[in-house]
Amino acid sequence: MSGPHHYAVTVIGNDRPGIVAGVTRALFETGCNLEDATSTILRGHFSMMLVISSDGPQGTLEASLAGAADDLGVMITVKPVEEAALDFDAPTHMVSVYGADHPGIVFRISDALASAGANVTDLTSRIIGSPEEPVYALMMEVAASDGKGLEDLLTGIASEIGVDVSVHPIEADLL
Amino acid sequence: MGIHPVLRIPERVLKRTAVAMGDAPDDELVADLIDTMRASPGCVGLAAPQIGVSRRALALDVTGHPKTKRCHGLVVVFDPVVVESSGREVGREGCMSVPDLTANVARAKRVVVHGRSPEGEVLAIETDGFEARAFQHEIDHLDGLLILDRVSSLATDVFRRKVYQEPRG
Repeated sequence: MSGPHHYAVTVIGNDRPGIVAGVTRALFETGCNLEDATSTILRGHFSMMLVISSDGPQGTLEASLAGAADDLGVMITVKPVEEAALDFDAPTHMVSVYGADHPGIVFRISDALASAGANVTDLTSRIIGSPEEPVYALMMEVAASDGKGLEDLLTGIASEIGVDVSVHPIEADLL
Repeated sequence: MGIHPVLRIPERVLKRTAVAMGDAPDDELVADLIDTMRASPGCVGLAAPQIGVSRRALALDVTGHPKTKRCHGLVVVFDPVVVESSGREVGREGCMSVPDLTANVARAKRVVVHGRSPEGEVLAIETDGFEARAFQHEIDHLDGLLILDRVSSLATDVFRRKVYQEPRG
């Protein structure tokens, strides 16, 4: 097999300044090329996922990232991934769900989406509100062929599990 | 001349502050802006830097767009300046110079734009809604500003989109 290999890298650990710099320095010094990456802070934990490409041996990459993980006090995993097609389902709808926090909200909503053949292309959720009355807020971008059907379906599920849901189309204007 | 390729980031001309048109007419630039805008599916406006000309000129036509309120039809403005603006509204914008992404951008709801027509006539255009948004987007191009320079939150303001079709020609 020729050409660069792709790897999925995950990073998680207690948040502090310098983690992105430390991880990307190790990748840069190993001759890796960052492709798509996303990072956020999840309940105080720094988290990052990257797909990178590298011509070098996997062992060198793993050793370099293991050193960075020790220095930074974070967990880093590296897994080879096959190169995937770059065309994607563009998101067509934004789905917002919120309500009193209880287990099963994401599962019930995403299960309904899956049954409708809708693809979740992005998801963010946060627990907001007070510790006494935690509120779960979930935002998803989905690629769906039938927005109206989706809204009816999710409204039904939402009333069963006692949360509010709204579905609105993602409409961008080309300027 | 006529239809030009629409330049995309990281073309440097997109990040430059464009130079004033002054009083001279430029029929070729006007025709190129209009022709390229018309040839680009869904495109309602184009600024000269997007076709590689770092001059302060834009073409705009929001006729028939579902979000249009006030509409001045096809307008070409030299040296446009927003002299008044009010209100604030977030809308999702795509830009032919920024492939693959759309972004939520806050714009004034109502603006007054001063400038000159290609024939040298003084223009004072008061507009709102989608046409106001389009003016602000195109005038940003003249200052080297793209939608990615206007977002406030990467997580919620930048969205992937299908690549717009290439301009014909």
